[in-house]
Amino acid sequence: MNRIQTKLQEDKKLLSIYFTAGYPNIDDTVKIIQDLEKNGVDMIEIGLPFSDPLADGPTIQDSSTKALKNGMTTELLFNQIKDIRASVKIPLIIMGYFNPMFQYGVEVFCKKCQDIGIDGLIIPDLPVDVYHEEYQAIFEKYNLANIFLITPQTSDERIKYIDSISNGFIYMVSSASTTGAKSGFGDEQTQYFKRIDDLNLKNPQIVGFGISNNDTFTQATKYAKGAIIGSAFVKHVTNKGVDTIDKFVASVLN
Amino acid sequence: MNENKQNTTQQVPSLSGRAREGLALKICGMKYQDNIEQVAALQPDYLGFIFYKKTPRHFDTKIPDIPNSIKKTGVFVNEDLNTIIKKVNEFKLQAVQLHGEEAPYYCNMLRTTTLLSSPVEVIKVFSVKEGFNFDVLKEYEAVCDYFLFDTKGKLPGGNGYTFDWSLLNDYPSTKPFFLSGGIGLDQVEDIKKFKESKAAKYCYALDVNSKFETEPGLKKISILREFKNKLNNKEMQQYNVDEKGYYGEFGGAFIPEMLYPNVEELRQNYLKIMAEPDFQKEFDQLLKDYVGRPSPLYFAKRLSEKYNTKIYLKREDLNHTGAHKINNTIGQILMAKRLGKHRIIAETGAGQHGVATATVCALMGLECIVYMGEIDIARQAPNVARMKMLGAKVVPALSGSRTLKDATNEAIRDWINNPIDTHYIIGSAIGPHPYPDMVTRFQSVISEEIKWQLREHEGRENPDYVAACIGGGSNAAGTYYHFLHDEDVKIIAVEAAGLGVDSGESAATSVLGKEGIIHGCKTLLMQTQDGQITEPYSISAGLDYPGVGPMHAHLAKTGRAEFLSITDDEAMKAGLELCELEGIIPAIESSHALAIFKEKQFKPDDVVVMSLSGRGDKDLQNYIDYFKI
Repeated sequence: MNRIQTKLQEDKKLLSIYFTAGYPNIDDTVKIIQDLEKNGVDMIEIGLPFSDPLADGPTIQDSSTKALKNGMTTELLFNQIKDIRASVKIPLIIMGYFNPMFQYGVEVFCKKCQDIGIDGLIIPDLPVDVYHEEYQAIFEKYNLANIFLITPQTSDERIKYIDSISNGFIYMVSSASTTGAKSGFGDEQTQYFKRIDDLNLKNPQIVGFGISNNDTFTQATKYAKGAIIGSAFVKHVTNKGVDTIDKFVASVLN
Repeated sequence: MNENKQNTTQQVPSLSGRAREGLALKICGMKYQDNIEQVAALQPDYLGFIFYKKTPRHFDTKIPDIPNSIKKTGVFVNEDLNTIIKKVNEFKLQAVQLHGEEAPYYCNMLRTTTLLSSPVEVIKVFSVKEGFNFDVLKEYEAVCDYFLFDTKGKLPGGNGYTFDWSLLNDYPSTKPFFLSGGIGLDQVEDIKKFKESKAAKYCYALDVNSKFETEPGLKKISILREFKNKLNNKEMQQYNVDEKGYYGEFGGAFIPEMLYPNVEELRQNYLKIMAEPDFQKEFDQLLKDYVGRPSPLYFAKRLSEKYNTKIYLKREDLNHTGAHKINNTIGQILMAKRLGKHRIIAETGAGQHGVATATVCALMGLECIVYMGEIDIARQAPNVARMKMLGAKVVPALSGSRTLKDATNEAIRDWINNPIDTHYIIGSAIGPHPYPDMVTRFQSVISEEIKWQLREHEGRENPDYVAACIGGGSNAAGTYYHFLHDEDVKIIAVEAAGLGVDSGESAATSVLGKEGIIHGCKTLLMQTQDGQITEPYSISAGLDYPGVGPMHAHLAKTGRAEFLSITDDEAMKAGLELCELEGIIPAIESSHALAIFKEKQFKPDDVVVMSLSGRGDKDLQNYIDYFKI
């Protein structure tokens, strides 16, 4: 059982935070990870920046552009976090687009992740069937969970298929949108969360997109195991820097 | 003895003596002059003209000059013998197909009469259904050349559905026959199976009609061509997209799950919708009446003299809105309507695709949002104004490098945020499957026309070379499409080298690109070693895309196409040269293709067909600045 699966068995609602590696400053990566854990965050998504992040809204796109300008690369990220397991125990996931991983070499990338102690990957533009046919064996060889997205438009049949090849959690996108586009949930989302809950999937669901504060965190986790905050956290470090991460996390959890 | 003599004079082909590989093909129900010529260019073995008055396919005009190798066949139903003789002589028919209850003696008279200016093959039709008694054939054996088996239906022929071909397992004769009744593109696999069966032993030809029409009597050339190629196994899938959306190793659909329902809906429906007669009819009609197709295939005499070869220009620049782009937007807007979408989004670089999209949205009364990089908006003010006049909303892309690739990102994001009512009209042969294939098919009208136009000019439908410029590659894909599997046609792809391939300011993707993923497909792509997509450069706004369509990546990798790179300077000079020699101001994109004549030596009798993808009006300021006019 890897760290993600162990974490998912804890009897609590989980908070996961996304940040863009190399942003706001190139060397903030380790400090952000350590501070997030220290302040009670359950899981972290380390964003590997990409020039053309299709599934993301302006906030994460801008942070990615800036991070790349700061000089962030795949190799540099791996170097920055190579000793991260000496200080951090919570699950760490790398979230990024497929092309940089493809160029790095998918197997080399996965091996490096295992060496460092990364627990899983979220690759929005690697489709389920391509993963299943070409890469699942490699991910499993290096004990990496691949996390898939589902949306309100995903059919039950497809959700069950995704559930069958997942081995961590399912990333439940709250509404048809890019990241950071919406805030707050209406009846439609609640019904969707409930519909998925009723499918009794083997993998727990964690909600992402549209969660920015305690209110939305509470709503999202009513039917789901946890929630992910991305754009709101990136905005926080844009405006307040990386020294008040404790305040941000506290505002979500309390 | 008498019969033998008849057979000798009529040169009836014997089955065993036939040199052909597959089945002969008869295309029946021809009606319109232009259409007859275009169908004849496909070189079927028979063309059928129906002289029976009670059908919408009734033929009552003239048959244009078509090669003698295609047998002109008159189709009659219980007609007076003298009328048939008159028609045979008038139209120089080489075969007569009898669809009524014509008796054996009647068939025999047709074969023995001295009133015919030349003898005809006699094809006797029988409608087959379960329980068909093959004994009736016996008395016709000696008096006709072929049988034709059709579906038993309400009308004499043309019922549009197939009969159970396994009934022919009981065929007691050795007389070669035509198989007919509702045969369409869908039946190719069935036909191949049938060909292997016992029932097909004496099957000589296939007879097709209504399944290839956009209206009674009007045949759809591209579908007929596809049918013919598939039957002959000519379509080896080598250069076409496969079922999963790949061209060799390139293509696919690398999209976030949020886009899956949209793209999947399109994937499941696009071929079905495109094959609907209503769709084809509306598409063809708009291309003809609204776009102004067919676009001329112009023999550029002075340009040819200068380079001592034969150069034909396919004049896509004469289309409505000034470029090939409109072929695709017309097709996609009709597709969007059939999918029930009422909000249209598009990306644009120089604004040509944006204008073509805004145009068709105005035409159809649909909401139109065009994403355009902030920098491009500043550079291309006239096109921005055009889009606005046409009722489109132009939204600046403020992210990244604020040019075409970022406009594409923004359009994709819009689609993610509007998954139900919105169709995304991608402007090039790029994006996730099925876009590259769909766009290519809509643009393939270019090569479809080249084939029959070149036959008119040169008496052959295949040139020695086809050439086109490539950004994403939609005009090139359309120009190559029907030549991809004709190995005698060499393909030239012209990329923008910008300031020079090694200058760091270039868009020559086939040279500088590496395999990667951009905008939903795996293709050749300009990127950093770390997999970040880089910003290309060309003086031509339509060619500075960091990738190339997956079909072209495959053509480059397999060597099917020769890729040449042309610098800004070479292109601008070639553009001016065309102005001076032919009186045509080309788009700077097209000027890149024109510059190959200085790069590459062609033989004097080579026929080179080049796509003149767009007109130069939009580039006037670039020309003015460059040449200090």
